Amino acid sequence: MAASIGAVACRALHSRRYGKLLSIGRGLFSGARCLVAEGETHFGFQNVSETEKGEKVYHVFESVAKKYDIMNDSMSLGVHRLWKDILLHQMNPYPGTQLLDVAGGTGDIAFRFINYVRSQWEHQIKQKLKSHQNLSWQEISKSYQEEELKLPGGSQVVVCDINKEMLKVGKQKAQHLGYSEGLSWVVGNAEELPFNDNKFDVYTIAFGIRNVTHIDQALQEAYRVLKPGGRFLCLEFSQVNNPLISRLYDLYSFQVIPVLGEIIAGDWKSYQYLVESIRRFPAQEEFKAMVEDAGFLKVEYRNLTSGIVAIHSGFKL
Amino acid sequence: SCLSTCPTITPPDCREHALSAAANRPFPGAAPRHSSDGQEGQEQPKAWDPALLEFLVCPLSKKPLRYEASTNELINKELGIAYPIIDGIPNMIPQAARMIDRKAQDEEPKQT
Repeated sequence: MAASIGAVACRALHSRRYGKLLSIGRGLFSGARCLVAEGETHFGFQNVSETEKGEKVYHVFESVAKKYDIMNDSMSLGVHRLWKDILLHQMNPYPGTQLLDVAGGTGDIAFRFINYVRSQWEHQIKQKLKSHQNLSWQEISKSYQEEELKLPGGSQVVVCDINKEMLKVGKQKAQHLGYSEGLSWVVGNAEELPFNDNKFDVYTIAFGIRNVTHIDQALQEAYRVLKPGGRFLCLEFSQVNNPLISRLYDLYSFQVIPVLGEIIAGDWKSYQYLVESIRRFPAQEEFKAMVEDAGFLKVEYRNLTSGIVAIHSGFKL
Repeated sequence: SCLSTCPTITPPDCREHALSAAANRPFPGAAPRHSSDGQEGQEQPKAWDPALLEFLVCPLSKKPLRYEASTNELINKELGIAYPIIDGIPNMIPQAARMIDRKAQDEEPKQT
């Protein structure tokens, strides 16, 4: 892994724009993220103290919150929507599923979850109607009323994000789109979740875990709040293995994304951080090992779009 | 006063945690809410979903919390900290929590 980080750093160093990375390169070559001096971590390609990372990440998301969705669409050309849809398909929640979506500020996963559970429910009702032709229409209308009042089967989704600006945007979006029942918002830290043990059927974290200062602690907390049998699902940028795509991807990431960030959100630095943080995040196998270390079993991952992102899945059994 | 986030009377392990958390304090403390009357009081029932209490615990002690309607806070009595609910969203970051002055604790409801 150290070698691959070195390779990334080398590539980055070749780029004239990132001359200042030389100083950071030292940290990278001397043995990568896990071995930097205690109390130190990284913020993009910079080594910073752990406290500083928390603050810096907070400010990044505070400043991008309002443009976050537009930026996601423009940077990924809308593909992030497909990635999130795939995550939901893999989750395949049934009516009654209790979901905790961590770092889910603007509600992308939560809204998809609600839609998915509702459509599952409708499907079930249709099946029921087929087998019970003699249901009175009062009964039918009652089932529809129940559906409007709350999520089917008592499903709930709790969106937890450390950044209240992101949550604010999410909550407004929910009001605008008409999602309210079965949906709650909580400001909380992934590393010390404010939730009881064994409470959730599914824990998701989409494009969030790389911004967490202590990933191992976040994974342990995920394990703690999941019910036995519960599932951990993580959607995150990962490592592209195809050299050609990797080249293009780097070019796009370092040359185009910060420019888009500047044009659309007026914020070059935040988007430069996002790109750099993607490169510092562990590759598929390494992250899989971290998920296993937290106690999860049957840990698997699948690459999407040539490994630009990966979905890691694990169970608390 | 709202910036004093550091609980003083806490069990040793949690206290250490809370102290270091408060020392780091990357986020500004949140103002306590005094909202028992007026429009806010009307808005809150739909904004804050008490069903959440089933899931929520103090992130430090992992113990259940009590909802205090008069201040619109979630109280961890044992540690003497109160987590604010702002715009219907509980803020469960210890650095944003308010330390409850034990002596004033009884008087508090009267103030609002």
